[in-house]
Amino acid sequence: MSKIEDALRKARASGALTTASHAQRTNLQLVPTGKVDTELAHELEVSQSRAIARMREPRPLTKEELAENRLISRDMADGRVANAFREARTKLLQRSGGKNRIIMVTPVSQGSGGSFVAMNLAVSFSFDESKTGLLVDCNIDDSAYRKLIRQESHLGLMDYLEREDVSMEQIIHPVGIPRLRIIPAGKRREVPAEYFTSIKMRELMYNVRQRYHDRFIIVDAPPVFENADTQILCELCDDILLVVPYGKVTVSKINAAVDAIGKEKIAGVIFNNEPRVPKLRKSKRVTSS
Amino acid sequence: MQLSVEQNIRLLINDIYRYRNFVVAAFVVVSLATMVVGMMWPKSYTSSTSVFVEQKSIIQPLMQGAAAVNTDVKDQATIAREIIFTRKVMNQVLDLAGWTKNKPSEIEKEKIADRIKDNTTVRTVSANLIKIEYKDKDPERAFVTAKAFADLLLKEASGSQTTDSREAFEFIDKQVREYHEKLVRAEQQLKEFHSRNVDARPGTQGEVSKRLDGLQGRIEEARLALKEAEIRRKSLEQQLAGEAEVTVSITREGQYQTRIAELQAKRDALRLTYHDTYPDIVRINYQIEELKAAILEERRKREEVKEAARNEGRVYVDEGVRLNPLYQQLRQELSQTKTQIATLKTRLYESKKLLDEELERARRIHGGEAILAELTRDYEVNRDIYQDLLRRRESARVSMNIDREQRGLNMRIQEPAALPLRPSGLRFVHFLVGGLILGLIVPMGALYGISVVDPRVRMPSVIHEGAKIPVLAVVPHMATPIEMKLVFRNIMTLGIVLLATIGTIVTVAALKISGVI
Repeated sequence: MSKIEDALRKARASGALTTASHAQRTNLQLVPTGKVDTELAHELEVSQSRAIARMREPRPLTKEELAENRLISRDMADGRVANAFREARTKLLQRSGGKNRIIMVTPVSQGSGGSFVAMNLAVSFSFDESKTGLLVDCNIDDSAYRKLIRQESHLGLMDYLEREDVSMEQIIHPVGIPRLRIIPAGKRREVPAEYFTSIKMRELMYNVRQRYHDRFIIVDAPPVFENADTQILCELCDDILLVVPYGKVTVSKINAAVDAIGKEKIAGVIFNNEPRVPKLRKSKRVTSS
Repeated sequence: MQLSVEQNIRLLINDIYRYRNFVVAAFVVVSLATMVVGMMWPKSYTSSTSVFVEQKSIIQPLMQGAAAVNTDVKDQATIAREIIFTRKVMNQVLDLAGWTKNKPSEIEKEKIADRIKDNTTVRTVSANLIKIEYKDKDPERAFVTAKAFADLLLKEASGSQTTDSREAFEFIDKQVREYHEKLVRAEQQLKEFHSRNVDARPGTQGEVSKRLDGLQGRIEEARLALKEAEIRRKSLEQQLAGEAEVTVSITREGQYQTRIAELQAKRDALRLTYHDTYPDIVRINYQIEELKAAILEERRKREEVKEAARNEGRVYVDEGVRLNPLYQQLRQELSQTKTQIATLKTRLYESKKLLDEELERARRIHGGEAILAELTRDYEVNRDIYQDLLRRRESARVSMNIDREQRGLNMRIQEPAALPLRPSGLRFVHFLVGGLILGLIVPMGALYGISVVDPRVRMPSVIHEGAKIPVLAVVPHMATPIEMKLVFRNIMTLGIVLLATIGTIVTVAALKISGVI
């Protein structure tokens, strides 16, 4: 309990709790079981980790902040991107057969926007109020989420795998988007492959999946060819999404990537960064799927 | 992979957006460049004139085949070109159109003439119309030149046609006369040859060889007979050598001798029985003595006669000698044979002479025949050509008469040349419109070309078909607000550039059309 108190104190000190009170309210309403405000204290007692997470929930990102970080939102100006991710999400849900899955997102080549796709896919899962998203950043060399986690020093996946004293709860961070958590990559290691093969990694994956059945885990993996990690990570995942950038790779390269991963697990391709003429007038709010 | 039209258009639109700077830049450059080219493009004016060629002539069906009537219009365009491009016409045109004002040298004139030829088109518009077009920078000069061409063409054509047919007639007539002369000469030669070689007729060859055979046979025969006669003569001569010329006949002396012998035989018989004194024996002795004396007497007498004959120069014919009859006969035969030999020799000689003559004649006949063939051939060829030429001359005469009465090809100016007021060819407006269209086509074509060549994946369907994995979503580019601002600013700039370009073009066009520039 000391940990909880500690965290609460920290949150109060930073002032996040007061600003995020509204967000917490909505968040609570979105819990599948339909909990209400008055039950907050009870909830804190029941579920430690959830309470911690909730307390640490920072100020939700504004529309402008989301747009700046290239993150989709429900009421964004140009709904086409959001709709694309929702479409992908729907297809993945159909594939999942009602269970939560570990979905790996890997780009065909560097600069394909793999992290963008992984992040937004996670966001799109969090659109659905009955589901939550967890993004596991395995892009050790090139982590894209440092900006989102507004903490100077935070623990990440590498820290957890390396150090015994770091718990799972310490590496799961909120980012200001409801129902979305991130496990950042953490400090850079020389030879990360060994950690991905460790039992601890496997355990982590098992735990994050088993704890909440409504949680979809998105693994942001490095490009298929440029990192040996990706193929190791494949074994830990249920579905694999290949990110193909517009006008950058040939079919033969895509085929090579498919061969490298193995076709069985590939759920499909996200064709990313298609240049489209921007809509000049403001589009209507994205319709709920 | 074959993309559908719709996919291609979508790709193209995406690409235009993606490379909008390039597209706008290419449009601006191309359209402005074309406009500048259009401003610099030299103006040219075309003046044209049509010449009507009257083809249907009432006389034509009548003259079908009889006269060569020059009415083919297809040829007329070529003929017209030939006529107006002659040096004579060209020089007149140069003078009329004012090219020679600056006294150009002959080489310069030649160059100008070549340029005029290049800028002139002569073509057949319809069955009866020839159109002459001339293009020049100066409308006035274009008009004058086209007019000069038409006028000179008419002048030359009517003149040249009559002269043509007259010249043709005269030429054929000259040829006819020439061939007539040749024919007469050939006939003369043939006649002379015939008179010189009477026997040189076709067929004499056979006769001559027959005669030659006969003569050769006769010579052989004569030669054989001669040999035979020679042999006979030789054998006769041998026989004559062995035969006495005369046979001894019974002379008086001989008779006396015979008497003596008889008396001696009688006396020998008497002596057997009687003595010599017996009278008979004595008589017989006496008688013998007498006979002996008579012999002597006889001999003396003969000698005397012989002597006398010799002295008197007479042939003495011995009465007691008689010629040998066999000898006589042989001699006769010999003499006959000799005569025969002489005859045969003469005949042989004659025959040989005849043979030589005949051979000579045969030789002459051979040569004559070759000459005769040649002469006959010459004659026949000349005769054929002459006859043909005669017919042609008559056709030419008719053609000449037709032309003289202007019944053949008639020409008149259907549409006179006019002063061109508007330049022909590519005008400034064409360049403006073309430049705008080209400005659109060039960048789009370039983009399309690149998209066709570029093997990189730009369509989700390609992934689906090529890699056989489903495409879950197509994510458009997501711009941050700052990026969006930049994009909008960029689009605005491009729009302004586009408007400025079009505005410039429109302004220039307006100025150009209103004649300010």
